[in-house]
Amino acid sequence: MSERRAIGAIVIAAALALSLDGARAFDESKYPDFSGQWDRGNGGAGWDPTKPNGLAQNPPLTAEYQKIFEANVAAVAAGGEVYNDQSRCLPSGMPRMMIAYEPIEVIVTPKTTYVRVDHLSEFRRIYTDGRDWPAAIEPTFAGYSIGKWIDENGDGRYDVLEAETRAVKGPHSYDANGIPFHQDGEASFKERIHLDKDNPDILRDDVTTYDHALAHPWTVTRTYYRHRDAPWYEHVCVEDNHHLAIGKESYFLSADGLLMPTRKGQPPPDLRYFKEQQTAK
Amino acid sequence: MVYRRVGCAIVALLLAVPFTSLTFSAPVLAHHSFAMFDQKNGVEMVGVVREFRYVSPHTFIIIDVKQEDGTVESWSLEGVSPSALAREGWSKDSIKTGDELKVWVAPLRSGAPGGAWVTQKIQFRDGRPIIPTPELVKGP
Repeated sequence: MSERRAIGAIVIAAALALSLDGARAFDESKYPDFSGQWDRGNGGAGWDPTKPNGLAQNPPLTAEYQKIFEANVAAVAAGGEVYNDQSRCLPSGMPRMMIAYEPIEVIVTPKTTYVRVDHLSEFRRIYTDGRDWPAAIEPTFAGYSIGKWIDENGDGRYDVLEAETRAVKGPHSYDANGIPFHQDGEASFKERIHLDKDNPDILRDDVTTYDHALAHPWTVTRTYYRHRDAPWYEHVCVEDNHHLAIGKESYFLSADGLLMPTRKGQPPPDLRYFKEQQTAK
Repeated sequence: MVYRRVGCAIVALLLAVPFTSLTFSAPVLAHHSFAMFDQKNGVEMVGVVREFRYVSPHTFIIIDVKQEDGTVESWSLEGVSPSALAREGWSKDSIKTGDELKVWVAPLRSGAPGGAWVTQKIQFRDGRPIIPTPELVKGP
């Protein structure tokens, strides 16, 4: 009997030790509640949601890159958008993935915060494990992000996730307006991600862009609204996309898979290789 | 079943609608521009659904429209994503092959038989809405 009691005591002690370890691993009460589904509500799909689309976005571009922006806007007005790789299912990357064309999900763990984006099934990691920047970073569409949690009001609970993102792979863009990044690929971003002080079901991401195409850093706030029990849907862009680019021209695919022009007078694609095959026969 | 496009004014088969109310309210700028579609000169179209594709990234309605000369022209109409439709109460069964629809379309600027449609401007030909009681799951 005493032997059984000893074994029982050991088992109970082991179980308690495991549960305490689990509690120390992740104290959720220290972090803000970022759970649920976040969408942009009626917020605009232009990078700066407070401004109309097109030139009215008024990004602080240098004169050189303002001309590129104006050319992209003119291309859009004519019916083309070769500059917009996302129309052909290339990932948004940073910062555009934070527009939230489809809802996003923010998953907090002590060492990493994950942002999952339904649109194009994109995903980014923000490392909060205290690491230093690697000496070399392979660029990715989402970039490499390091962050830290801030307790701004000193109540023992984190309020803000500050993050910096580097090594974003091109081509990438702010939005479908065609605001360009510098061709040197050295854009970086600093973010402050936090809940609204007056409404915990509003999430804000203050994004500051540093890029040589800009005359000065550009800060934009993206706002998201929480839905705790909303369903999630799949979004697979390549399933049946009808937008494509051949050379410098944008085309549209009909439902039966045939090329359609997108503007009046648009030339057909260059078929030189098909002609050579014909001649060889 | 015929579609009519009369200069800058649209004359509906069943009722006359002022031009201002037919300005096409395209979806807000999405992951791609809608510039290839002529949003200022929407076209009213009445036809029979050949197929409703409930797919990413955009749903598609393929609609057969009878021309004045008796021939039938198929139009490829691009809509929003299935997830966006689902949040408005739609499903893959909301429209079926054989349904007769009246839909306002922003046509391709090129004149090819393609365009964009929106949920706010589509109904069954007899006037019934596609979704009787739209359920919106959106933020404020």
